[in-house]
Amino acid sequence: MKSKSNIIAFVFIIASLFLAIIMHLVLRGSFKNDFQSLITFHFIKDVSFIIAAGLLLRFVIARNDKRNISILEQLQTINTEIKDSNERYDIVAKATSDTIWDWKIQEDEFIWNKGIQGIFGYKKEDVGQTSSWWFDRIHPEDSLKMSVKLYSFLEQKTERWQDEYRFKCADGSYKYVFDRGFLVKDADGKAIRMIGAIQDVTKQKEEEQRLRLLETVITQTKEAVVITDTDISNNPIPNIIFVNPAFTKMTGYKPKEVIGKSPIMFSGPKADMSELEKLSTAIKNYKECFIETLSYKKNGEEYWVNFSMIPVTNKEGEHSHWISIQRDVTKEKNQEREREQLIRELTQNNKDLKQFSYITSHNFRAPLSNLTGLLHLLEDVPIENEELQEILNGFKRSTHLLNETIEDLVKVVIIKDNPSILKEDISIKEIFENVFFQLNNQINLYKPTIKFDVDETLSIHINKAYMESIILNLMSNALKYRSKDKVSKILIKAVDKENFVNLIIKDNGIGIDLDKNGDKIFGLYQRFHNYPDSKGLGLYLVKSQIEAMGGSIEVESQVGKGTQFTLTFKKE
Amino acid sequence: MLKTILCVDDDPITLMLCKKVIKKAEFSEDVLFANNGQEAFELIQSLVNKKQNDTEINLPQLIFLDLNMPVKNGWEFLDLFNTTISNEFLETKVIILSSTIDPSDYNKAKQYDIVSHFLSKPITVEMLENLKPIYS
Repeated sequence: MKSKSNIIAFVFIIASLFLAIIMHLVLRGSFKNDFQSLITFHFIKDVSFIIAAGLLLRFVIARNDKRNISILEQLQTINTEIKDSNERYDIVAKATSDTIWDWKIQEDEFIWNKGIQGIFGYKKEDVGQTSSWWFDRIHPEDSLKMSVKLYSFLEQKTERWQDEYRFKCADGSYKYVFDRGFLVKDADGKAIRMIGAIQDVTKQKEEEQRLRLLETVITQTKEAVVITDTDISNNPIPNIIFVNPAFTKMTGYKPKEVIGKSPIMFSGPKADMSELEKLSTAIKNYKECFIETLSYKKNGEEYWVNFSMIPVTNKEGEHSHWISIQRDVTKEKNQEREREQLIRELTQNNKDLKQFSYITSHNFRAPLSNLTGLLHLLEDVPIENEELQEILNGFKRSTHLLNETIEDLVKVVIIKDNPSILKEDISIKEIFENVFFQLNNQINLYKPTIKFDVDETLSIHINKAYMESIILNLMSNALKYRSKDKVSKILIKAVDKENFVNLIIKDNGIGIDLDKNGDKIFGLYQRFHNYPDSKGLGLYLVKSQIEAMGGSIEVESQVGKGTQFTLTFKKE
Repeated sequence: MLKTILCVDDDPITLMLCKKVIKKAEFSEDVLFANNGQEAFELIQSLVNKKQNDTEINLPQLIFLDLNMPVKNGWEFLDLFNTTISNEFLETKVIILSSTIDPSDYNKAKQYDIVSHFLSKPITVEMLENLKPIYS
């Protein structure tokens, strides 16, 4: 503008001087050389000059104005364009959620856009103007790595730079950011300015970390994990798209050897076809499925696999993949097989033994029954020879004793064979009445004092035959092992408890030395007194029968004072 | 009193006992004997053949049958009897007389309609007295 004013002034002066000279030359000839004429001459010359100069000035100013207006218009257009461009830049930054920074490197001038307020929560006045404000807000764990990368970038002066780091927000928390920068160079190639865009990637980062954590489940687990697609057009079991390291460890197959192939490849001659059929049906119906079959490793080795196939769906709820979890259960399977084999053998052994005991019993009983039958017949044959009679009586007694023993043994064998026996509600009183009837002879002979303290209405859930046999054994023991020097006393008492009934049978007989024989008292073939008709079977049978009915028996005894049996039966 | 009965047992003493007890109890007029299932079957079959010519022949009304016997045991006899000639013996019943204690024998016996009783040896007069009202 200044130069323009100078030009205008200069042109005006030159033009005026030129005009003045022209005027002077033109007008000089027309006027006389008198004073009056001189005055008139000067007046006309001045007026003409002023008019001419004025016209000239107007022309120059008008031209200048015209040029100025066009410049102004140009400026206005540029201004609007800049404004638009600025707006566009803000909108784009907003749309991409990017925070833009602009760093004049030499001057260390650092300018942030509005994102630093919106995304990181800083107030306008808190935002620093230098690069150190930026560096100070980078997480200490990231700052070293980040600055090394940034400075090496500045040194190498490549065009692009990008990095991930944590950036501190106004509230002190950190956001994961992804920062990308461009370098502006001057004509000499010197970096003068750097412009960057910061993206908040906290959400992606957290999701990534969560996914990585979930992924470790698959990569670290000891179970083999296989993922397949859902295409069953070629194979009943769809193709593998992923296997985890545990799978490789289990089967020997590397991922690249199985990806794109159907798990049917692990099957072989001994695979369980019905299980595979089950699996392929489940796959057709998009149902989860669990199977166990023999499978084959890469080296051909067989192994038992426990195999699950579970359908998974994508976000839209469409069936997208199958996840299969597989476990090598060969060891368990073998153990199971050994166990089954053992059970089979034991069952067979047990069956054989049982059969053996039946046959033995039968072979004992057959001739014995002949003896018994023959002795019956003998009863009606008159015998005059006394000695023969005596011998025959001996025969008879021995035969009866042998018969009783065999019958008791048979009972034991049958109890062991019949774990579930028929039980019914039986009155305790009724049982004792039956037993007293059977023991009538002995009771009349020894005349014991029997105290019977049992509620007449009390009944228990038992097997009648077993219970009679138990009471008969205990009562005949009480009579058999009575004390020789005092009157035999027997107390029978029933105690009705909430969940069970206690039945007590107490005598004042010779007793048993429990310190010596306590653990053997209910054993098979245990005899504690040298009585001719004691077989060592009675208490064993009693205990077996009580236990077969779900009850229990305990004994207390003192030598010379007596014995007490306490029977416990559950109420049902 | 029954006309004819058959006792099947491999033990001669048992058969002797049967004979004596039956006689004593006046249970049957005639007693036939066989030592095993095969003999019993052949005996019965020959009786059936004879009966075609001589209607006087009596077929046994009751059979006392042991289970454990050589050649053909009691069960084999029952199966053979059931499948071949039982039509001639609509009236005949079988009483198993055995020393067995095997519970499965008792259960098996229930499957034969022809078996009416399962008794434990020895045969006694009382036993036969109890049977009399049922079979005479």
